Amino acid sequence: MSLCTQTRFAAALADPAVAVPPGLTAWNGLQPQRRFAVYRNNVVVGLTGAIASRFPAAQTIVGEAFFSAMAAEFIRVHPPRSPLLLSYGDDFADFVERFEPANDIAYLPDVIRLEAARGKAYHAADVAPLDAAKLAALPPERLADLVFVPHPSLSILRSPHPLVTIWAMNAGEAELRSIEDWTAEDAMVARPHMTVEVRRMPPGGAVFLQALASGERLATAVEHAIENASAFDLSANLAGALQTGAFIAFH
Amino acid sequence: MNKISASVFAASVATALSLVASVPASAADATKEKCYGVALKGQNDCAAGPGTTCAGTSKIDHQQNAWKLVPAGTCEAMKTPNGHGSLTQGPAPA
Repeated sequence: MSLCTQTRFAAALADPAVAVPPGLTAWNGLQPQRRFAVYRNNVVVGLTGAIASRFPAAQTIVGEAFFSAMAAEFIRVHPPRSPLLLSYGDDFADFVERFEPANDIAYLPDVIRLEAARGKAYHAADVAPLDAAKLAALPPERLADLVFVPHPSLSILRSPHPLVTIWAMNAGEAELRSIEDWTAEDAMVARPHMTVEVRRMPPGGAVFLQALASGERLATAVEHAIENASAFDLSANLAGALQTGAFIAFH
Repeated sequence: MNKISASVFAASVATALSLVASVPASAADATKEKCYGVALKGQNDCAAGPGTTCAGTSKIDHQQNAWKLVPAGTCEAMKTPNGHGSLTQGPAPA
């Protein structure tokens, strides 16, 4: 098959409005349109399944029918670029943000981002997290200049919605109930050992971790965090980061 | 700017370390173990060894260098047509 034929075939697979590629024949001599429709359907159903398995909480929120329709539209506009489906849907959240029928559910894109980060953490390289005892051995005057190496599974998400609460309720991690206190929640996702962990960040925590993960000195990260939230608690945040295995080394 | 002295840093880090020590390490991980040689073709969890990238990439059933997370203590009790599951990685398929 020439590249041109392949491109035309792929375009027709993704979009039912495009005519069946010329020259196509069916093994039983019937019209190729019906055989091609089966192929088209299998592609969409297979990819919808891949998207649904990556974003189960989002599917729970909108329901199966809405999710499938939304996924089908995404698949049409963003067909996979790689045969590995592990990362297919990395840009699903950005798509959903602009997907008009979902506009009423303002927090949906962030839930999808959290689920994407969980998938990324699940498949990230295995690395043992930093042993907290190594920090204790440092002379105090070195602490301010420490630069930490983030764990390959680490993601930090900031949301104007109660993101972690919404995700936990729809992922079966917490009981469904109405959210009385609708406040912004930042999340950190990491897989220090075998299990992906999602943690709700305390005030200033996301800014602190983001600064450290981007290679800022500990002192600079603390300054950013205090500017963001005056209630920032260095001890609690550092302990949280060490417990969740956010870092693998320092220098 | 919010300058913080070395002594404040030392105190904060010391408090953080005591907080870390007072909370037991995540119990969740103790309940799972990597079990080699039990996953069916394409159903392994991450890292099926050289030549494969990641989850879902094992080429044959019960591939001995591909693992699956199973409840702790159950791995070596699992019987496959090629023998029991193993906590250590086996050879890549020929």
